[in-house]
Amino acid sequence: MRLQSRDVQRSGIPTASMADIAFLLIIFFMVTISFEVDKTQVALPTTQIRLEIPKEAAYISVTETGQIRVSSGEEISVPVLGPEDVLSFAAGVVASHPGRPFVLKADKSVPYRYVDRVIDALKQSKAEVIYLLSQQETVAEAGGGSQP
Amino acid sequence: MKLKRDQVSEEIPTSSMADIAFLLIIYFMVTTTFAATRGLDFSLPQDDESQPLVEKEESVLIEIHPGGRLVVDGSNLELDEILDYLKPKLERNPMKPVIIRPLENAEYGYMVDVFDEMRQAPKKIGMEIRNVSIPTQREIDMFWY
Repeated sequence: MRLQSRDVQRSGIPTASMADIAFLLIIFFMVTISFEVDKTQVALPTTQIRLEIPKEAAYISVTETGQIRVSSGEEISVPVLGPEDVLSFAAGVVASHPGRPFVLKADKSVPYRYVDRVIDALKQSKAEVIYLLSQQETVAEAGGGSQP
Repeated sequence: MKLKRDQVSEEIPTSSMADIAFLLIIYFMVTTTFAATRGLDFSLPQDDESQPLVEKEESVLIEIHPGGRLVVDGSNLELDEILDYLKPKLERNPMKPVIIRPLENAEYGYMVDVFDEMRQAPKKIGMEIRNVSIPTQREIDMFWY
């Protein structure tokens, strides 16, 4: 008498749902991706108070050596020569988009005189709100404040 | 004689879909940058040369020196001592002006530290500092002396 053959177990990995998972991940990345208008590398100061910055804000970055770049929030940032250019840039942004906030992205080690001139230019151009871009304070830093 | 037609599959070929999807995932993972999108806000007063001036003696002046040394009304204080110094003054006058004045060679990060400390006043001393200003050098030259 011939015995009935055993159930054959397939050795392949089931991959049918792999595409579904992959597309879910793609959708996640597409929804969360944001295009930075300013990619200047600066060491940001750390703060405990951190408010969400509106997406349409204009950016002014100041590097450790005092180099300044500006962006109205709609295009990639461009370098400017000095505070006078910041004033004309900010006046243009305020004229075309009244109430638009400005984000100051300055290196924590930059001498304050560079930042002072930028803030003064923003005040003169009738800007209303400035956000001082910062990063999250870590547990190690929380004890004694950030050290530039 | 009967001709045999080629059999056309009725199913959509999906075997390469996962490959394409994972390629897209890798693209997004490589190009994604985690942007810093948070910070401290402060409202700027509108530049008006006819505005009433605050006498220096009526306000609390916080000077920030290079290296982070803080001089508050002429006395050296640590960052975490400032709010305790301000509390009795704010209890007498909640609108007491607090002026943050970083010297020109002081590092910007210390100014942010002090401003952050001022903003934490409701949590640390139970009252808000309503009147914080950071005058620019031009304003100091124009209005202070």
